[in-house]
Amino acid sequence: MTLFGSDPTPYIALLLVGVLPSEIWRWMALVVGRGLDETSEILVWVRAVATATLAAVVAKLAFFPGGALADLPTGWRVAAFVIGLTAYAAGRKSVLLGVLSAEAVIVGASLWLGIR
Amino acid sequence: MSAAEPSLPLSQSAYFRQGLRAAVALPAVILAATFIGIGSVCAGYGMPLAWALLATVLIWAGPAHLILVGGLASGASWVAVGITVGLSSVRLLPMVVSLLPYLRLQNRNPVVAVICAHFVAISIWVEGLRLLPQIDAEGRVPFFLGLGTGLLASATTATAVGYFLAGIIPPAFSAALLFLTPIFFLLSLFTTARALSDRLAIGFGFFGLLAASTIGDGLELLYAGLGGGTLAYGLARLKRLREAP
Repeated sequence: MTLFGSDPTPYIALLLVGVLPSEIWRWMALVVGRGLDETSEILVWVRAVATATLAAVVAKLAFFPGGALADLPTGWRVAAFVIGLTAYAAGRKSVLLGVLSAEAVIVGASLWLGIR
Repeated sequence: MSAAEPSLPLSQSAYFRQGLRAAVALPAVILAATFIGIGSVCAGYGMPLAWALLATVLIWAGPAHLILVGGLASGASWVAVGITVGLSSVRLLPMVVSLLPYLRLQNRNPVVAVICAHFVAISIWVEGLRLLPQIDAEGRVPFFLGLGTGLLASATTATAVGYFLAGIIPPAFSAALLFLTPIFFLLSLFTTARALSDRLAIGFGFFGLLAASTIGDGLELLYAGLGGGTLAYGLARLKRLREAP
């Protein structure tokens, strides 16, 4: 492990292609969103777009993953979603129960398949 | 608490502490576990510890963080990495816009507004939409700053823990840590979705991404998010208009 490293390049990359392309949307939101009220029709649309984009990020992270998750066959990841959602619904909308059930599938399947 | 502090109404610092306390809940635990995963990924790619911690604090968006570190390690061009990070973070715009009306920022310093906007990420968006309506209007900004500070502190600590645990965590558990963000995001969306348009948007966004990925031009997040969300809004609006007398 390295504490700071002697090369400044990764830090410049962090600011230019990590922080800037993320933060710019937050700044733009402050300009665009000024003066909107909680009940406006535009806000209903904006919330639908935010929700759809997050759901898309979920699908991207789960079905086009990196690291150890990529070694687990897609079917198991689908099963984890189905079991997690079922447990969430059965457990009277308990996020904790849903998360734990889905994770049990991921850990169980990884151990059973002997992924290393 | 000093005796000089007025007991009623609540002072701005009391709201801040209330926000800090609200950060100690399930989302902070999930967030910490997620950032343990991200910290260990950063260490695995050979990034310095200070870099990993700065990225957590300054980017404050898990997917963008993972895309950046993976992209830099793969040797992809900075422009390509920047565009992918930007696309993964477009969601922050509608998230901040939809939280703003709850914050009542009108009479606040612009710097405070920028800090509030920086704190917006999935966990605080979900918690903000849920908790802010219960807080008095004048206390919402300090409450939100307290909530954000608490979540950011736990995520940064977790990044360091993950960094040191890299290579020690068994692969089955690294897979589980990487799956935490998707399953938690998804269930959180179900808990915040009140309107029909929001519930439709979850399905259209999720399956829209899988469909849009077959195009292969790298813009699938945009198609599924903007297209899926607009379609969900349009269908819900149509149903509302039909039911109206």
